Amino acid sequence: MTTGELPTAQEQAGDLPESLRETLAGHYYTDPEIFRLEQEHIFEAGWFCAVLSADLAKPGQFETIQVGRESVLVTRGRDGAIKAFLNVCRHRGARLCTEEKGEVRRSFQCPYHAWTYSFDGALIAAPNLGAMEDIDRTQYGLHDVHIREWLGYVWLCLAEEPPSFEDTVVGDVNARLGTPDAIVGYQVADLKLGRRIEYDVKANWKQIVENFMECYHCATIHPELTEVLPEFADGLAAQYFVGHGAEFGEDVQGFTVDGSAGVEKLPGVSEEQDRRYYAITVRPQVFINLVPDHVVFHRMFPLTAERTLVRCDWLYLPDVVDSGADIDRSVELFHRVNQQDFDACERCQLAMDSRAYADGGVLVPSEHHISEFHDWVRERIG
Amino acid sequence: MILVGELAGLPPGESVRVQGEVAIAVFNVDGELYAIDDTCSHQDASLSDGWLEGCAVECPLHAACFDLRTGQPSGPPAKKPVRTHAVSIEDGVIYVHESTRVTVGGAVAEEVG
Repeated sequence: MTTGELPTAQEQAGDLPESLRETLAGHYYTDPEIFRLEQEHIFEAGWFCAVLSADLAKPGQFETIQVGRESVLVTRGRDGAIKAFLNVCRHRGARLCTEEKGEVRRSFQCPYHAWTYSFDGALIAAPNLGAMEDIDRTQYGLHDVHIREWLGYVWLCLAEEPPSFEDTVVGDVNARLGTPDAIVGYQVADLKLGRRIEYDVKANWKQIVENFMECYHCATIHPELTEVLPEFADGLAAQYFVGHGAEFGEDVQGFTVDGSAGVEKLPGVSEEQDRRYYAITVRPQVFINLVPDHVVFHRMFPLTAERTLVRCDWLYLPDVVDSGADIDRSVELFHRVNQQDFDACERCQLAMDSRAYADGGVLVPSEHHISEFHDWVRERIG
Repeated sequence: MILVGELAGLPPGESVRVQGEVAIAVFNVDGELYAIDDTCSHQDASLSDGWLEGCAVECPLHAACFDLRTGQPSGPPAKKPVRTHAVSIEDGVIYVHESTRVTVGGAVAEEVG
Protein backbone atom coordinates (compact mmCIF):
# COMPACT_ATOMS: atom_id res chain seq x y z
CA MET A 1 0.00 0.00 0.00
CA THR A 2 1.43 3.34 -0.98
CA THR A 3 0.86 6.46 1.01
CA GLY A 4 -2.52 8.06 0.43
CA GLU A 5 -4.32 4.87 -0.56
CA LEU A 6 -7.09 3.59 1.60
CA PRO A 7 -7.09 -0.10 2.46
CA THR A 8 -9.80 -2.03 0.67
CA ALA A 9 -12.52 -3.79 2.57
CA GLN A 10 -10.88 -7.09 1.71
CA GLU A 11 -7.58 -6.06 3.20
CA GLN A 12 -9.28 -4.93 6.39
CA ALA A 13 -11.38 -8.04 6.73
CA GLY A 14 -8.19 -10.05 6.62
CA ASP A 15 -6.71 -11.54 9.76
CA LEU A 16 -6.37 -8.98 12.49
CA PRO A 17 -3.47 -9.31 14.90
CA GLU A 18 -4.58 -11.07 18.07
CA SER A 19 -4.60 -7.82 19.99
CA LEU A 20 -7.31 -6.33 17.81
CA ARG A 21 -10.94 -7.08 17.16
CA GLU A 22 -13.39 -5.49 14.74
CA THR A 23 -15.92 -2.86 15.71
CA LEU A 24 -19.27 -2.41 14.06
CA ALA A 25 -19.10 -0.69 10.67
CA GLY A 26 -19.67 3.06 10.61
CA HIS A 27 -23.16 2.95 9.13
CA TYR A 28 -24.46 1.11 12.21
CA TYR A 29 -24.30 4.49 13.93
CA THR A 30 -26.05 6.60 11.29
CA ASP A 31 -28.33 4.43 9.17
CA PRO A 32 -32.01 5.24 9.94
CA GLU A 33 -32.99 1.72 8.84
CA ILE A 34 -30.66 0.13 11.40
CA PHE A 35 -31.98 2.51 14.04
CA ARG A 36 -35.53 1.47 13.13
CA LEU A 37 -34.57 -2.19 13.59
CA GLU A 38 -33.04 -1.34 16.96
CA GLN A 39 -36.20 0.49 18.00
CA GLU A 40 -38.32 -2.51 17.08
CA HIS A 41 -36.12 -5.38 18.22
CA ILE A 42 -34.26 -3.83 21.15
CA PHE A 43 -36.09 -0.89 22.73
CA GLU A 44 -39.65 -2.11 22.08
CA ALA A 45 -38.82 -5.75 22.76
CA GLY A 46 -37.07 -5.67 26.13
CA TRP A 47 -37.30 -3.82 29.42
CA PHE A 48 -36.71 -0.06 29.20
CA CYS A 49 -35.98 2.08 32.26
CA ALA A 50 -38.35 5.03 31.96
CA VAL A 51 -39.13 7.03 35.10
CA LEU A 52 -37.85 7.61 38.63
CA SER A 53 -40.81 6.33 40.66
CA ALA A 54 -40.53 9.19 43.16
CA ASP A 55 -41.04 11.70 40.32
CA LEU A 56 -44.62 10.41 40.15
CA ALA A 57 -45.41 11.08 43.78
CA LYS A 58 -49.18 11.58 43.50
CA PRO A 59 -52.06 10.13 41.48
CA GLY A 60 -52.35 12.00 38.19
CA GLN A 61 -48.70 13.01 37.94
CA PHE A 62 -47.39 11.77 34.63
CA GLU A 63 -44.41 11.60 32.28
CA THR A 64 -44.38 10.80 28.59
CA ILE A 65 -41.47 8.70 27.43
CA GLN A 66 -40.26 7.80 23.95
CA VAL A 67 -39.64 4.03 23.85
CA GLY A 68 -38.56 2.91 20.41
CA ARG A 69 -41.14 4.30 18.00
CA GLU A 70 -43.85 4.69 20.64
CA SER A 71 -44.74 7.45 23.06
CA VAL A 72 -45.69 5.97 26.44
CA LEU A 73 -47.74 7.73 29.13
CA VAL A 74 -46.64 6.75 32.65
CA THR A 75 -48.74 7.83 35.62
CA ARG A 76 -49.78 6.89 39.13
CA GLY A 77 -53.32 5.62 39.68
CA ARG A 78 -55.66 6.56 42.53
CA ASP A 79 -54.76 3.24 44.16
CA GLY A 80 -51.12 4.39 44.27
CA ALA A 81 -49.90 1.92 41.66
CA ILE A 82 -47.87 3.01 38.63
CA LYS A 83 -49.59 2.49 35.26
CA ALA A 84 -48.34 2.92 31.72
CA PHE A 85 -50.20 3.21 28.41
CA LEU A 86 -49.49 3.89 24.78
CA ASN A 87 -50.01 7.65 24.51
CA VAL A 88 -52.61 7.35 21.75
CA CYS A 89 -56.30 8.21 21.90
CA ARG A 90 -58.42 5.20 20.93
CA HIS A 91 -60.80 7.43 18.93
CA ARG A 92 -58.80 8.94 16.08
CA GLY A 93 -55.24 8.41 17.25
CA ALA A 94 -54.36 11.85 18.53
CA ARG A 95 -51.43 11.95 20.95
CA LEU A 96 -53.15 12.13 24.31
CA CYS A 97 -50.47 14.01 26.29
CA THR A 98 -48.01 16.21 24.47
CA GLU A 99 -46.25 17.50 27.59
CA GLU A 100 -43.11 15.69 28.80
CA LYS A 101 -44.39 15.77 32.35
CA GLY A 102 -47.19 17.26 34.38
CA GLU A 103 -50.13 16.56 36.60
CA VAL A 104 -53.80 16.16 35.78
CA ARG A 105 -56.54 16.57 38.35
CA ARG A 106 -59.29 14.25 37.17
CA SER A 107 -58.46 12.36 34.03
CA PHE A 108 -56.51 12.26 30.79
CA GLN A 109 -58.56 13.96 28.14
CA CYS A 110 -57.81 14.01 24.44
CA PRO A 111 -57.65 17.67 23.36
CA TYR A 112 -59.24 16.79 20.00
CA HIS A 113 -62.71 15.29 20.74
CA ALA A 114 -62.49 15.06 24.55
CA TRP A 115 -62.41 11.29 24.87
CA THR A 116 -61.61 11.02 28.56
CA TYR A 117 -59.67 8.30 30.35
CA SER A 118 -59.15 7.50 34.03
CA PHE A 119 -55.67 7.17 35.58
CA ASP A 120 -55.94 3.44 35.03
CA GLY A 121 -56.63 3.89 31.33
CA ALA A 122 -60.38 3.18 31.26
CA LEU A 123 -62.56 5.24 28.93
CA ILE A 124 -64.80 7.15 31.33
CA ALA A 125 -66.48 9.65 29.06
CA ALA A 126 -66.79 10.80 25.49
CA PRO A 127 -69.21 13.22 23.85
CA ASN A 128 -72.47 11.48 22.89
CA LEU A 129 -71.27 8.18 24.31
CA GLY A 130 -74.63 7.75 26.05
CA ALA A 131 -76.41 7.87 22.69
CA MET A 132 -74.21 5.09 21.28
CA GLU A 133 -75.64 2.27 23.31
CA ASP A 134 -73.95 -0.45 21.29
CA ILE A 135 -70.48 0.70 22.40
CA ASP A 136 -68.84 -1.36 25.14
CA ARG A 137 -66.62 1.30 26.64
CA THR A 138 -64.42 -1.28 28.36
CA GLN A 139 -63.19 -2.16 24.87
CA TYR A 140 -61.92 1.38 24.28
CA GLY A 141 -59.53 1.96 27.15
CA LEU A 142 -55.91 2.96 26.53
CA HIS A 143 -53.50 0.21 25.52
CA ASP A 144 -51.64 -1.09 28.58
CA VAL A 145 -47.86 -1.33 28.73
CA HIS A 146 -46.15 -3.80 31.06
CA ILE A 147 -44.38 -2.23 34.02
CA ARG A 148 -41.99 -3.30 36.76
CA GLU A 149 -40.52 -1.21 39.55
CA TRP A 150 -36.96 -1.94 40.56
CA LEU A 151 -34.19 0.15 42.17
CA GLY A 152 -36.76 2.94 42.56
CA TYR A 153 -37.34 3.21 38.81
CA VAL A 154 -40.23 2.29 36.54
CA TRP A 155 -39.21 -0.12 33.80
CA LEU A 156 -41.52 -0.60 30.81
CA CYS A 157 -41.88 -3.34 28.26
CA LEU A 158 -43.84 -2.85 25.05
CA ALA A 159 -43.66 -6.50 24.02
CA GLU A 160 -46.86 -8.50 24.35
CA GLU A 161 -44.88 -11.21 26.13
CA PRO A 162 -42.06 -9.47 28.01
CA PRO A 163 -38.78 -11.30 28.46
CA SER A 164 -37.95 -12.33 32.02
CA PHE A 165 -37.05 -9.20 34.01
CA GLU A 166 -34.85 -11.33 36.27
CA ASP A 167 -32.91 -12.86 33.38
CA THR A 168 -32.35 -9.60 31.51
CA VAL A 169 -32.28 -6.51 33.76
CA VAL A 170 -31.41 -8.14 37.07
CA GLY A 171 -29.21 -10.60 35.18
CA ASP A 172 -27.07 -7.79 33.72
CA VAL A 173 -26.52 -6.33 37.20
CA ASN A 174 -25.67 -9.69 38.73
CA ALA A 175 -23.36 -10.64 35.87
CA ARG A 176 -21.34 -7.47 36.39
CA LEU A 177 -21.23 -7.54 40.18
CA GLY A 178 -20.80 -11.32 40.35
CA THR A 179 -23.55 -11.87 42.91
CA PRO A 180 -27.18 -10.80 43.38
CA ASP A 181 -26.35 -9.63 46.92
CA ALA A 182 -23.82 -7.01 45.91
CA ILE A 183 -26.28 -4.25 44.93
CA VAL A 184 -28.65 -4.86 47.86
CA GLY A 185 -26.60 -2.94 50.41
CA TYR A 186 -26.79 0.25 48.37
CA GLN A 187 -30.61 0.23 48.90
CA VAL A 188 -30.98 2.16 45.66
CA ALA A 189 -34.79 2.24 45.86
CA ASP A 190 -34.62 4.02 49.23
CA LEU A 191 -32.30 6.78 48.05
CA LYS A 192 -33.47 10.26 47.11
CA LEU A 193 -32.73 12.40 44.10
CA GLY A 194 -30.10 14.98 44.98
CA ARG A 195 -29.43 16.34 41.49
CA ARG A 196 -30.46 15.59 37.92
CA ILE A 197 -28.63 16.78 34.82
CA GLU A 198 -29.82 16.13 31.27
CA TYR A 199 -27.49 15.85 28.32
CA ASP A 200 -28.68 16.13 24.73
CA VAL A 201 -25.98 14.11 23.00
CA LYS A 202 -25.54 14.25 19.23
CA ALA A 203 -24.40 10.67 18.98
CA ASN A 204 -25.84 7.24 18.40
CA TRP A 205 -26.83 5.44 21.62
CA LYS A 206 -24.29 2.66 20.96
CA GLN A 207 -21.42 5.16 21.06
CA ILE A 208 -22.49 6.01 24.59
CA VAL A 209 -22.78 2.37 25.68
CA GLU A 210 -19.38 1.48 24.21
CA ASN A 211 -17.75 4.48 25.82
CA PHE A 212 -19.20 3.59 29.18
CA MET A 213 -17.93 0.02 28.92
CA GLU A 214 -14.26 0.81 28.44
CA CYS A 215 -11.64 2.86 30.24
CA TYR A 216 -8.91 2.94 27.62
CA HIS A 217 -9.85 6.62 27.28
CA CYS A 218 -9.87 7.39 30.99
CA ALA A 219 -6.33 8.65 31.49
CA THR A 220 -6.68 10.86 28.40
CA ILE A 221 -10.05 12.53 28.87
CA HIS A 222 -10.93 12.00 32.56
CA PRO A 223 -8.15 13.63 34.63
CA GLU A 224 -10.35 14.13 37.69
CA LEU A 225 -11.73 10.58 37.64
CA THR A 226 -8.30 9.06 37.17
CA GLU A 227 -7.05 11.10 40.10
CA VAL A 228 -9.72 9.51 42.31
CA LEU A 229 -9.38 6.02 40.78
CA PRO A 230 -5.69 5.71 39.89
CA GLU A 231 -6.04 2.19 38.47
CA PHE A 232 -8.10 3.70 35.62
CA ALA A 233 -4.80 4.96 34.20
CA ASP A 234 -4.12 1.33 33.26
CA GLY A 235 -7.07 1.53 30.91
CA LEU A 236 -9.06 -1.33 32.40
CA ALA A 237 -12.62 -0.36 33.24
CA ALA A 238 -14.38 -1.76 36.28
CA GLN A 239 -16.62 -3.38 33.65
CA TYR A 240 -13.67 -5.34 32.26
CA PHE A 241 -13.92 -7.59 35.29
CA VAL A 242 -16.66 -9.43 37.16
CA GLY A 243 -17.29 -8.20 40.67
CA HIS A 244 -14.44 -5.72 40.58
CA GLY A 245 -14.68 -2.30 42.14
CA ALA A 246 -12.01 0.25 41.23
CA GLU A 247 -10.23 1.31 44.39
CA PHE A 248 -9.99 4.94 45.52
CA GLY A 249 -6.48 6.42 45.57
CA GLU A 250 -4.66 6.38 48.90
CA ASP A 251 -5.06 10.09 49.55
CA VAL A 252 -8.61 10.19 48.26
CA GLN A 253 -11.27 10.74 50.92
CA GLY A 254 -14.39 10.55 48.78
CA PHE A 255 -15.80 10.23 45.27
CA THR A 256 -15.68 13.98 44.61
CA VAL A 257 -14.17 16.21 41.97
CA ASP A 258 -11.17 17.03 44.18
CA GLY A 259 -11.03 13.82 46.20
CA SER A 260 -12.33 15.58 49.29
CA ALA A 261 -14.68 13.82 51.68
CA GLY A 262 -18.13 12.90 50.43
CA VAL A 263 -21.35 12.80 52.43
CA GLU A 264 -22.80 10.21 54.83
CA LYS A 265 -22.03 6.67 53.74
CA LEU A 266 -24.85 4.33 52.73
CA PRO A 267 -25.23 2.09 55.79
CA GLY A 268 -25.54 -1.18 53.83
CA VAL A 269 -22.26 -0.79 51.94
CA SER A 270 -19.94 -3.60 53.03
CA GLU A 271 -16.34 -3.33 54.07
CA GLU A 272 -15.18 -4.83 50.75
CA GLN A 273 -17.32 -2.31 48.83
CA ASP A 274 -16.11 0.69 50.81
CA ARG A 275 -13.71 3.05 49.00
CA ARG A 276 -14.53 1.41 45.69
CA TYR A 277 -16.37 2.33 42.51
CA TYR A 278 -18.56 -0.18 40.66
CA ALA A 279 -20.03 0.39 37.21
CA ILE A 280 -22.82 -1.58 35.56
CA THR A 281 -24.36 -1.42 32.10
CA VAL A 282 -27.92 -2.69 31.95
CA ARG A 283 -28.53 -3.20 28.27
CA PRO A 284 -29.68 -1.37 26.34
CA GLN A 285 -29.98 2.03 28.04
CA VAL A 286 -28.99 2.16 31.72
CA PHE A 287 -25.68 2.78 33.48
CA ILE A 288 -25.43 2.45 37.23
CA ASN A 289 -22.42 3.68 39.21
CA LEU A 290 -22.10 2.65 42.85
CA VAL A 291 -19.84 4.47 45.31
CA PRO A 292 -19.98 4.33 49.11
CA ASP A 293 -22.03 7.49 49.65
CA HIS A 294 -24.16 7.79 46.49
CA VAL A 295 -25.39 6.18 43.30
CA VAL A 296 -25.20 7.76 39.85
CA PHE A 297 -27.99 6.42 37.66
CA HIS A 298 -28.05 7.15 33.90
CA ARG A 299 -31.05 6.58 31.66
CA MET A 300 -30.58 6.95 27.92
CA PHE A 301 -33.43 7.85 25.59
CA PRO A 302 -32.40 7.21 21.98
CA LEU A 303 -34.33 9.72 19.87
CA THR A 304 -32.81 9.29 16.41
CA ALA A 305 -29.88 7.41 14.94
CA GLU A 306 -27.69 10.39 15.76
CA ARG A 307 -29.27 11.88 18.87
CA THR A 308 -29.64 10.50 22.39
CA LEU A 309 -31.01 12.19 25.49
CA VAL A 310 -29.28 11.15 28.70
CA ARG A 311 -30.84 11.79 32.12
CA CYS A 312 -28.37 11.40 34.93
CA ASP A 313 -29.59 11.16 38.53
CA TRP A 314 -27.38 11.55 41.61
CA LEU A 315 -29.03 9.63 44.47
CA TYR A 316 -28.17 10.01 48.17
CA LEU A 317 -29.56 9.04 51.54
CA PRO A 318 -32.82 10.98 52.06
CA ASP A 319 -31.37 12.62 55.19
CA VAL A 320 -28.43 13.93 53.20
CA VAL A 321 -30.69 15.54 50.58
CA ASP A 322 -33.19 16.86 53.13
CA SER A 323 -30.46 18.38 55.29
CA GLY A 324 -29.23 20.46 52.36
CA ALA A 325 -25.75 18.94 52.66
CA ASP A 326 -23.25 20.14 50.06
CA ILE A 327 -23.29 17.61 47.21
CA ASP A 328 -21.76 19.95 44.63
CA ARG A 329 -18.33 18.35 44.65
CA SER A 330 -19.66 14.82 44.32
CA VAL A 331 -22.04 15.83 41.51
CA GLU A 332 -19.29 17.76 39.76
CA LEU A 333 -17.05 14.71 39.43
CA PHE A 334 -19.41 12.61 37.36
CA HIS A 335 -20.88 15.65 35.61
CA ARG A 336 -17.41 16.35 34.25
CA VAL A 337 -16.99 12.68 33.34
CA ASN A 338 -20.31 12.83 31.50
CA GLN A 339 -19.35 15.96 29.58
CA GLN A 340 -15.97 14.51 28.70
CA ASP A 341 -17.54 11.24 27.57
CA PHE A 342 -20.34 12.79 25.54
CA ASP A 343 -17.90 15.16 23.81
CA ALA A 344 -15.91 12.09 22.81
CA CYS A 345 -19.03 10.30 21.58
CA GLU A 346 -20.01 13.32 19.47
CA ARG A 347 -16.48 13.46 18.08
CA CYS A 348 -16.77 9.83 16.93
CA GLN A 349 -20.26 10.34 15.58
CA LEU A 350 -18.94 12.97 13.16
CA ALA A 351 -16.82 10.37 11.41
CA MET A 352 -19.24 7.46 11.22
CA ASP A 353 -20.17 8.14 7.59
CA SER A 354 -16.57 8.75 6.50
CA ARG A 355 -15.22 6.26 3.99
CA ALA A 356 -12.28 5.92 6.40
CA TYR A 357 -14.65 4.24 8.85
CA ALA A 358 -16.92 2.42 6.38
CA ASP A 359 -15.61 -0.93 7.66
CA GLY A 360 -15.30 0.27 11.23
CA GLY A 361 -12.26 0.43 13.46
CA VAL A 362 -10.59 -1.86 15.98
CA LEU A 363 -10.88 -2.75 19.63
CA VAL A 364 -7.71 -3.11 21.70
CA PRO A 365 -7.54 -5.83 24.40
CA SER A 366 -8.91 -3.59 27.16
CA GLU A 367 -11.94 -3.02 24.88
CA HIS A 368 -12.47 -6.58 23.68
CA HIS A 369 -15.49 -7.07 25.96
CA ILE A 370 -17.33 -4.49 23.83
CA SER A 371 -17.56 -7.23 21.16
CA GLU A 372 -20.10 -8.98 23.36
CA PHE A 373 -22.27 -5.88 23.19
CA HIS A 374 -21.89 -5.77 19.40
CA ASP A 375 -22.89 -9.43 19.20
CA TRP A 376 -25.85 -8.71 21.44
CA VAL A 377 -27.02 -5.93 19.09
CA ARG A 378 -26.47 -7.98 15.92
CA GLU A 379 -28.31 -10.99 17.32
CA ARG A 380 -31.35 -8.81 17.81
CA ILE A 381 -31.48 -6.78 14.63
CA GLY A 382 -30.39 -9.62 12.34
CA MET B 1 -91.18 5.32 40.32
CA ILE B 2 -87.85 3.87 39.21
CA LEU B 3 -86.08 1.17 41.18
CA VAL B 4 -82.43 2.17 41.68
CA GLY B 5 -81.18 -0.65 43.90
CA GLU B 6 -80.10 -1.44 47.44
CA LEU B 7 -78.89 1.51 49.47
CA ALA B 8 -75.93 -0.63 50.53
CA GLY B 9 -74.90 -0.80 46.86
CA LEU B 10 -74.47 2.99 46.61
CA PRO B 11 -71.96 4.03 49.28
CA PRO B 12 -71.09 7.71 49.96
CA GLY B 13 -69.14 9.30 47.12
CA GLU B 14 -70.61 6.92 44.53
CA SER B 15 -73.09 7.42 41.72
CA VAL B 16 -75.22 5.23 39.52
CA ARG B 17 -77.10 5.74 36.28
CA VAL B 18 -80.65 4.48 35.86
CA GLN B 19 -83.03 4.66 32.93
CA GLY B 20 -86.26 6.62 33.30
CA GLU B 21 -87.87 8.43 30.44
CA VAL B 22 -84.34 9.71 30.02
CA ALA B 23 -81.15 8.61 31.83
CA ILE B 24 -80.99 9.73 35.47
CA ALA B 25 -77.91 9.95 37.72
CA VAL B 26 -78.27 9.16 41.43
CA PHE B 27 -75.58 10.30 43.87
CA ASN B 28 -74.81 9.50 47.49
CA VAL B 29 -73.27 12.59 49.12
CA ASP B 30 -72.28 11.59 52.65
CA GLY B 31 -75.50 9.59 53.08
CA GLU B 32 -77.78 12.16 51.42
CA LEU B 33 -79.20 10.95 48.08
CA TYR B 34 -79.73 13.20 45.02
CA ALA B 35 -80.98 12.51 41.52
CA ILE B 36 -80.57 14.68 38.43
CA ASP B 37 -80.76 14.15 34.68
CA ASP B 38 -77.68 12.19 33.74
CA THR B 39 -76.93 14.06 30.55
CA CYS B 40 -74.94 17.27 30.84
CA SER B 41 -76.85 20.25 29.43
CA HIS B 42 -73.70 21.46 27.64
CA GLN B 43 -72.81 18.39 25.57
CA ASP B 44 -74.02 14.79 25.70
CA ALA B 45 -71.94 13.28 28.51
CA SER B 46 -72.93 11.17 31.50
CA LEU B 47 -72.84 13.10 34.79
CA SER B 48 -72.89 9.81 36.71
CA ASP B 49 -69.33 9.41 35.38
CA GLY B 50 -68.45 12.84 36.74
CA TRP B 51 -66.69 13.95 39.92
CA LEU B 52 -68.49 14.70 43.16
CA GLU B 53 -67.33 17.84 44.95
CA GLY B 54 -69.49 18.46 48.00
CA CYS B 55 -73.04 18.94 46.75
CA ALA B 56 -72.01 19.44 43.13
CA VAL B 57 -71.05 17.16 40.29
CA GLU B 58 -68.42 18.07 37.72
CA CYS B 59 -69.02 16.79 34.19
CA PRO B 60 -66.20 14.47 33.09
CA LEU B 61 -66.00 16.06 29.65
CA HIS B 62 -65.70 19.83 30.05
CA ALA B 63 -65.84 20.28 33.83
CA ALA B 64 -69.26 21.96 33.86
CA CYS B 65 -70.61 21.85 37.44
CA PHE B 66 -74.19 21.34 38.62
CA ASP B 67 -75.67 21.81 42.07
CA LEU B 68 -77.27 18.47 42.93
CA ARG B 69 -79.92 20.17 45.08
CA THR B 70 -81.23 22.52 42.38
CA GLY B 71 -79.85 21.24 39.08
CA GLN B 72 -78.52 24.73 38.40
CA PRO B 73 -75.16 25.06 36.65
CA SER B 74 -72.58 26.27 39.16
CA GLY B 75 -69.60 26.31 36.81
CA PRO B 76 -69.07 26.89 33.07
CA PRO B 77 -69.43 25.95 30.27
CA ALA B 78 -73.00 24.74 31.02
CA LYS B 79 -75.62 27.50 31.01
CA LYS B 80 -78.86 25.52 31.25
CA PRO B 81 -79.96 23.57 34.32
CA VAL B 82 -80.63 19.86 34.49
CA ARG B 83 -83.81 18.50 36.11
CA THR B 84 -83.75 17.24 39.67
CA HIS B 85 -85.77 14.25 40.81
CA ALA B 86 -87.12 13.15 44.16
CA VAL B 87 -85.46 10.17 45.82
CA SER B 88 -87.00 7.88 48.45
CA ILE B 89 -85.78 4.90 50.42
CA GLU B 90 -88.10 2.05 51.35
CA ASP B 91 -86.81 -0.96 53.27
CA GLY B 92 -83.24 -0.18 52.30
CA VAL B 93 -84.09 0.14 48.60
CA ILE B 94 -83.65 3.38 46.63
CA TYR B 95 -86.35 4.71 44.29
CA VAL B 96 -86.33 7.77 42.03
CA HIS B 97 -89.52 9.67 41.22
CA GLU B 98 -88.92 11.18 37.82
CA SER B 99 -90.02 14.78 37.27
CA THR B 100 -92.44 15.18 34.40
CA ARG B 101 -91.49 17.17 31.35
CA VAL B 102 -94.02 19.62 29.93
CA THR B 103 -93.30 21.23 26.62
CA VAL B 104 -94.62 24.75 26.35
CA GLY B 105 -94.09 26.57 23.09
CA GLY B 106 -90.98 24.56 22.29
CA ALA B 107 -89.34 25.19 25.67
CA VAL B 108 -89.13 22.51 28.32
CA ALA B 109 -90.77 23.34 31.63
CA GLU B 110 -90.63 21.13 34.68
CA GLU B 111 -92.71 20.11 37.60
CA VAL B 112 -91.92 17.62 40.26
CA GLY B 113 -93.98 14.47 39.86
